[in-house]
Amino acid sequence: MAAIDIPEVHKFIETIPPFSGLSLLERKQILTGVSMLYVRQGQTLVLKDDSATVHLIRRGACEIRTPKGGLVDQIADGECFGVSSVMAQNPDGLQVVAMEDSLVYRFDKIRFIEMLEKNEAFGLFFEHTQHNRLRKLTRSQSNELASPALQLSTPVAHIMTRQLIQATPKETVQTIAMRMTEARVSSILVVEEGRLQGIVTDRDLRSRILAVGGSSDSLVANVMTASPVTLSPNSLVMQAQTLMSESNIHHLPIVDEEHQAVGMLTAADLLRHQELSPLLLINLIHRQQSVESLARVCKQWPTLIINLIVTDMKAADVGKVLATVSDNLTRRLIELALEKLGPAPMDFQFLVFGSQARRDQSLGSDQDNGLMLEREPSTEESLYFADLSEFVCQGLGLCGIRLCPGNIMASNPEWRRTTDGWQQAFSRWIKSSAPSALLHASIFFDIRCVYDNGKSEGEAVKDLIKAMQLEVSKNSVFLATLTRSALVTKPPLGFFRHFLLESSGEHKHQLDLKHQGLALINDLARLYGLSCQTYRVGTLDRIEQAIREKLISVDTARNLMDAWDKLNGLRLEAQSRHFQATGKASAYLDPKDLSPLERKHLKTTFSIISEVQDVAQQRFLRGYS
Amino acid sequence: MLSRFIHKLKAWYLARQSVKRRWSEWDYLVLDIETSGLNAKQDHIVSVGWVCIQNGVIELDTARHIVLDNAQIGDNVGIHMITDSDVQQHGKRQESVLRYLRHLLRNRVLVVHHAPMELGFLKQSWLEHALPTFSLSWLDTLAIERSKANRAQQPIQDGGFRLDACRERYGLPEYQGHDALTDALATAELLLAQIAYQGRDCRLYDLNQMGGGRTRLVPRS
Repeated sequence: MAAIDIPEVHKFIETIPPFSGLSLLERKQILTGVSMLYVRQGQTLVLKDDSATVHLIRRGACEIRTPKGGLVDQIADGECFGVSSVMAQNPDGLQVVAMEDSLVYRFDKIRFIEMLEKNEAFGLFFEHTQHNRLRKLTRSQSNELASPALQLSTPVAHIMTRQLIQATPKETVQTIAMRMTEARVSSILVVEEGRLQGIVTDRDLRSRILAVGGSSDSLVANVMTASPVTLSPNSLVMQAQTLMSESNIHHLPIVDEEHQAVGMLTAADLLRHQELSPLLLINLIHRQQSVESLARVCKQWPTLIINLIVTDMKAADVGKVLATVSDNLTRRLIELALEKLGPAPMDFQFLVFGSQARRDQSLGSDQDNGLMLEREPSTEESLYFADLSEFVCQGLGLCGIRLCPGNIMASNPEWRRTTDGWQQAFSRWIKSSAPSALLHASIFFDIRCVYDNGKSEGEAVKDLIKAMQLEVSKNSVFLATLTRSALVTKPPLGFFRHFLLESSGEHKHQLDLKHQGLALINDLARLYGLSCQTYRVGTLDRIEQAIREKLISVDTARNLMDAWDKLNGLRLEAQSRHFQATGKASAYLDPKDLSPLERKHLKTTFSIISEVQDVAQQRFLRGYS
Repeated sequence: MLSRFIHKLKAWYLARQSVKRRWSEWDYLVLDIETSGLNAKQDHIVSVGWVCIQNGVIELDTARHIVLDNAQIGDNVGIHMITDSDVQQHGKRQESVLRYLRHLLRNRVLVVHHAPMELGFLKQSWLEHALPTFSLSWLDTLAIERSKANRAQQPIQDGGFRLDACRERYGLPEYQGHDALTDALATAELLLAQIAYQGRDCRLYDLNQMGGGRTRLVPRS
């Protein structure tokens, strides 16, 4: 075999670590016996016998998967696979699947092993690569067990203590105290005929025996908390957390349907389990007594968001968690305002619009909100609500949710209306179909009530939404106009691999994930959502509802939902990267920062949006275009 | 008489069988020829580059780049970057290179991009050097690409069948150099891409239908 002397091969290899560290002679040696293969998209490479060697991707993208199909790594141009096959006979049985058509160099196994032994730096690089993959492998396997996103919705059965320390009501306090000390627990379950009767905790022993000079011979029945608060084993961690914090208890017996004790959940169990801080933040928010201290607590807000993102939480879940935190923040601010200003003179509802309503907030989302009043206020009452709104909106601003640049906030008298006032506004927008009305529509039609001081529990808002949908369904011209405006912006999809990028300004050559991507999907979902019988406010919920009501095909809808997830994930990542670097959130993305694989995904994502736009055009614009 | 018949029958049977064989069961030699001009009668070969495909993969070890000793460089140095000193240092006699090629092509299918040009020059050299008669099978990646476009009824614009343009459609990397060897490798990769798009069980027979044939190279009689 002669040494390979192809300039294009050398030119490529010498830029790729660790080959770039080899001398010309070594490079020629390792290139001896190299063959080049073309792998079709979707094809699985079998790394056996002679093929169980290192491969280098010249152009393309591949995934490394476990035998069960779990994703270990995604690699593209200039990256190697088959490392573990050479170094350890591929004990994990990893597979390589081409994600796009790939041109791949396959090294000669014997030459490669020779080089690993001969050149230390070269060998170290591949050992490192292998370690790296193993780490990703273990991470992908542990992720299969419990992803952080699932933690709040884990059944308590998964984290409760099953070894129960029990007593009967007839025992003495002394004997159970000894048993508790021995078992090193702070509580004991009192059980009779298999059924849970009560619970005794360290605190009970302290307050009900020691503090009052009680006897150690007292019967358990007299000191226990009878009929304690319990949960069933399939309740969620989140429910347990809420219940314990509401009832101010630290021990929660878990019982089955026959009221038999099957486990014990303590605050410490929850704390161990609880790696996410949103609940902690919500708890803190509810304990603060002033706007200043709230603002201090909310300094953790960006860190929280970044944590959620780096723990690989699904984009849709990040949005929901953030919305829950901002809802709670909003409620706490309203409570503080009520404390300061005195009770409200009438029932009112605090409304949120836009991203908070849709529950897809991200870093740097601004506030869109308003007030809905029971009736027309007097001048004095009007002043009261002006003060309240100012307090809440400024408070939100101080806590990190930016003031709305378009002044769509409750602090603007324009957006404090009676139920009738809101209905008239919606009706006007729907009838006029003017551009400004459409702009309003895109914000206000995503609407949710976060606070209701009356007893209606947001019924007034539901009525408002019903009236709005009725009006829309009667007015097909409006829907057509809305459709046309939803189709004005096209996804930035160029030919082949090129993106049509912002051609000027600060963000030259960058992609605006929000306005060129997510907003388009939100618009489409709103369009379908408004055509549904049942109103949903979230983008994914709307698409699912549209499937249920058969307005959209399942395939199209699933594609669109995937696209939304993908773009949202990219946006969150771009934002958190940008935030960590500059302290500002930006949803702009430079496609150069993406791997070829990600670029390919993004291209597919945009073409999906474009397809659904066509579908929507067919559905809503027939006879109007 | 009978033995000739049996011989013919056997040849016919082999040909029938070979139609069924997958493309990767054959060996290929992908060739590119650099010439001093476009006219095979007036111009001559400056250099040749080739690489072989075996078992469905490009064996980079087989790559060769040979500059011919009778090359007259003149004004074309800018195109293929071969200088007079290259010719003097590395120049090989055209006849020996052609004999070597003929040897390699005995059990391989020739692959070129734009067959009329390359075959024209080969035919002319056979005439000039009075080499023994030689039949070869060939594939033309340009013709294959044209058949594909016709089949899909996707008209391809002027220049769209140039090697680089074809490669771009398959997302193959852009190569800077344009010497005979780089172009031979580029053509080989293009062929693999074209085959991949035809599906796993693509046969040489199918490729031949799209853009291939047999040609006899004969000496001047």
